[in-house]
Amino acid sequence: MNCNHATFISVSLAPPSSVLLFPKRLSENLTPKQTLLARNVRLRVRASASKGDGNAQAANWSQWVPVGSFAADKVFRLIAGATASPIGQFVVYPTTFLHSVDPRVKLVWLLALVVLPARSHIVVRFGLVIYLTLLSMWVLPRNAWTDQLGRVYLLSGLLFITLGLGSDGVPALVQLRTPPPAMMGLPNLPVSLTGYAYTITKLGPLTFTRKGLSVASTVACLTFTVFQSASLCLTTTTPEQLAFALRWFMLPLKYIGVSVSEIVLTLLLSLRFISLVFDEVRNIALGIVSRRINWKQLTVMETIDIFFNYFRRIFKNIFNHAEQISQAMIVRGFKGDSSSHKIYFLSESSFGIADAICLLFLTVVIGVALMSEYYLV
Amino acid sequence: MNFPYLTSISERVVAPLYATVPATIIRGNKAESFAIEGRNLRFSFTTRQTQDVPVLRDCSIRIPCGQFWMLLGPNGCGKSTLLKILAGLLTPTSGTVNVNGPKSFVFQNPDHQVVLPTVDADVAFGLGKIDLTHDEVRSRVSRALHAVGLSDYMKRSVQTLSGGQKQRVAIAGALAEACKVLLLDELTTFLDESDQVGVIKAVRNSVDTSPEVTALWVTHRLEELEYADGAIYMEDGKVVMQGDAASIRSFIEARQSAYINQINS
Repeated sequence: MNCNHATFISVSLAPPSSVLLFPKRLSENLTPKQTLLARNVRLRVRASASKGDGNAQAANWSQWVPVGSFAADKVFRLIAGATASPIGQFVVYPTTFLHSVDPRVKLVWLLALVVLPARSHIVVRFGLVIYLTLLSMWVLPRNAWTDQLGRVYLLSGLLFITLGLGSDGVPALVQLRTPPPAMMGLPNLPVSLTGYAYTITKLGPLTFTRKGLSVASTVACLTFTVFQSASLCLTTTTPEQLAFALRWFMLPLKYIGVSVSEIVLTLLLSLRFISLVFDEVRNIALGIVSRRINWKQLTVMETIDIFFNYFRRIFKNIFNHAEQISQAMIVRGFKGDSSSHKIYFLSESSFGIADAICLLFLTVVIGVALMSEYYLV
Repeated sequence: MNFPYLTSISERVVAPLYATVPATIIRGNKAESFAIEGRNLRFSFTTRQTQDVPVLRDCSIRIPCGQFWMLLGPNGCGKSTLLKILAGLLTPTSGTVNVNGPKSFVFQNPDHQVVLPTVDADVAFGLGKIDLTHDEVRSRVSRALHAVGLSDYMKRSVQTLSGGQKQRVAIAGALAEACKVLLLDELTTFLDESDQVGVIKAVRNSVDTSPEVTALWVTHRLEELEYADGAIYMEDGKVVMQGDAASIRSFIEARQSAYINQINS
């Protein structure tokens, strides 16, 4: 067989059952008098790679399709579980001091936490991660922070390991352009008297170097601070407060023709849609799980087809939501021009002592981060 | 409540309702005007095979000002289409519509109605078209949320609310606009019994407290008729009967029992 597909027909008889191979024995077993239907025959199509193409690894690729712990059913359950907890949603209770901080101050903090990990010493980077972790644990309810920190730590940890071992491990082998000093009759480079070593550790073929550490810590800390600070901000600030703060900062841009009101409305609608998207992803996943599909009976293509249908359904429902909400906006008086339709921000926003303290602390953090570049070398 | 203009219409030949009745009906000593009026409404759409599919066939309705009416009928009979035509979301193929303004439409699914992420901001969204002071907006939002029993939920994220609470937020949005006509499409579909009663009482209350407010409520539930002043029954794109709620209820129940007898015989 010179193709990478084989079709098998499994024939189950009641009882006994037998398996026929296509096409060789099919004609032998099925006569016009004994049709498939008459003998309660169930056809099953199975795809596999052929052995005759000289590629032993591709002999039966279907065995590489995830089953067991990564079975399709478990994937859908995982999706439904992961999207069940509120992500980026405002938590009213318990009301903490972060709830009372002015949203404009929070936005300044957010900007600082995006910039600082990239422009500071490694100690400050990890310091920021610890600071955000402790703040999250203090401010958020236990179930919220365990969920948020768990996900962000997992992502950052994976990035740290991948980049730490990958950024400088392979290039040492492939980028070497000059022969080693020993081959040129030169003495080896002297060992640092202060204990400096470029290579921190070796893990088999992988090397963890100072460059790897720098890249990995920057990316992992940046990922952590961006995700966790945004999450913390969204959890303690209503979307309308955030939109108010953004509008306050962007108001000067109005004079150079920037449509601030449109940006603010887009932000609000985006924040409204976050929860709708999570709802759709979870509901459709639960819908598939609740059908109790016997995944073992499905072929690989059928399983893939269900996944494609899942994604198609998500997009279809989200677009349907978008259409309905746009219709609702029209019914409620929105005529397509965001500058002529006022968005009322009913929350009182005043600058208090808590905001002043937050800004003072931010100044200290920025100062420490800048000085770390010069003093912690 | 006496409705002298109770009209029963043949299922086959649908004559325009109140063809001989003037635009205002004298009931007792009081002149009654109509908040919602649709005459000879037809609506159809064309399929990809260029076939004309009629949805509404010569529907005529009249709903007096300051009353709470219900629109009933089996699935696919054209209730929601009629409501969307009255709201101006669809244009009828023929016929005339006259609905007092400002009017508000509340969708069946509250997730489709709620536009902004927080309760108070969403209720205030519809007021964006009017030039109001912040205090006036705050007062309207507060009163609307109080009317639907959600005063304590002003700062809550919409996503954390139950289906019934979301539905009440949607109604509060309509009430805050101080609309004269409320068009409500199967609001109790996703709700449990207590939320159903809560929502329907909120609408009833808003109609009772303001003589200018008229509500038309699409429903499948006969038990909800006890809150209504009048009702319209539709079948197969036609208005079969309209009148006081008790008469419509008796009419539907008689049809149901006749249908059950037919099955059992």
